[in-house]
Amino acid sequence: MSITVTVPLLFSIAETPAPEEGDRYVSGLSTGKKLLLLGLLLVVVVTALRYSVGGMGRFSPLASSLRDILSPIQRGMMIAGRELGDFIATPGRLIGLTKRYQQLEEQNSQLESQLLQFKEISEENSRLKGMLDFSTNMASQMTTKAAAVTGRDYGNWLGTITINKGAAQGINSNMAVITPAGLVGRVTRVSKNTAEVLLITDSRSGVGSMVQETRAPGIVEGVSGGKGSLVVVNIPPDLTPSPGDRVITSGLDGSIFPKGIPIGTVRNVRKDEAGLFKMADVEPYVDFNRLEEVLVVTSLTLKTP
Amino acid sequence: MRALYFPVLVLGFVLLQFTALNFIAINGVKPDLVLILVILNGFFLGTREGAFWGFIGGILQDLIGGGYFGLYALTGMAAGYLGGLAEGRLYRESRLIGAGLVGACTFGAQLLFYLLLLLLNVRVSLLHALTGVIGPVSVYNALVALICYGLFYRLRRSGLLGDGYF
Repeated sequence: MSITVTVPLLFSIAETPAPEEGDRYVSGLSTGKKLLLLGLLLVVVVTALRYSVGGMGRFSPLASSLRDILSPIQRGMMIAGRELGDFIATPGRLIGLTKRYQQLEEQNSQLESQLLQFKEISEENSRLKGMLDFSTNMASQMTTKAAAVTGRDYGNWLGTITINKGAAQGINSNMAVITPAGLVGRVTRVSKNTAEVLLITDSRSGVGSMVQETRAPGIVEGVSGGKGSLVVVNIPPDLTPSPGDRVITSGLDGSIFPKGIPIGTVRNVRKDEAGLFKMADVEPYVDFNRLEEVLVVTSLTLKTP
Repeated sequence: MRALYFPVLVLGFVLLQFTALNFIAINGVKPDLVLILVILNGFFLGTREGAFWGFIGGILQDLIGGGYFGLYALTGMAAGYLGGLAEGRLYRESRLIGAGLVGACTFGAQLLFYLLLLLLNVRVSLLHALTGVIGPVSVYNALVALICYGLFYRLRRSGLLGDGYF
């Protein structure tokens, strides 16, 4: 029972306790010793914090086991949460339903006419590709493994998700993670049956990219984890993109992301802080707040023309 | 008694944070239930117990999360301490005061979290940190506390959340 008496003392520095509370913590320790103990505790925690930065490439054995045990529970809670969230959001959705219906009808007629044009372009495109014998179909070049999202980062600062496939299912660190809509992130750590994916919206993430229209290279960085916002930095000023341009992965040598995976569209462009390069805000194709299933790229066979 | 209920509550809240709470996130921001619990604990128990349980709650989060070890322990400790500063100074019977306190302490704890992230070379712009995370989380936590404060207060008064120490 010694811990029950001594540990709370660490937090009673330089303060006179309330009489009814303080009596329970009677101790012979002086304020100086308490300060010393608190200082030691802080040093230990800060040292552990700094040390854990180096160990971010793998889970500790305890964290790994906990994740494997909690994964099925998390999956169940995720499904329950989604159903509950939909249920709560339903009245709100009904309010604007009529207006939304009219908008969708208008949009539908516009899209139908556009579809006819695209069919024409698509047929022309297929013919030209056939002539060149050049395959750009990303799906045919990748082997992927589907995984369900079982959890997200605990807080609002970092952007990570947990998926229900791990080392036992052939998932390794630094594998790219995508959805049919576009790039999601990369695997950073794996346990036996789960893996942690660093989203491209995390401020620690950087992805080699280019603007499809201008071929301008740049690096896509996250703003912060919770927000689904991205910025492209280091864009050469002579290749400034325009709002609406598409940003895709560049797949340069050494990149873990295959070339040509869609990332998002340019929202606006501005100068960076130094004024030498341009930077652009990007609206991602993937809805990071509604991620449910993802594809992990387990191998990539690049076909060159 | 608290040694039993507190880790169980923290574990339950952490699981909720990881999973279901993502579906009630507003603009990518979700409330921090453990932080609310830690602050209210501090409000009822004073600075040192508040800081102690904040530290314990944070360590549990760090263990389960497997991220930067100590990040939540330090912010939890600070949040509990800040909540404890109001003990005996503010009127406990008002849920508005409880909610305001949770909002203010969340702001302080999240600011510390931001500074610790800078220490770990995780760069987030200050403007975005304030307007995109710290501010919204503080407001969201205050709203959740406004709703749940009555329940917490009654459970504390009835002794269900434990009056004894360990």
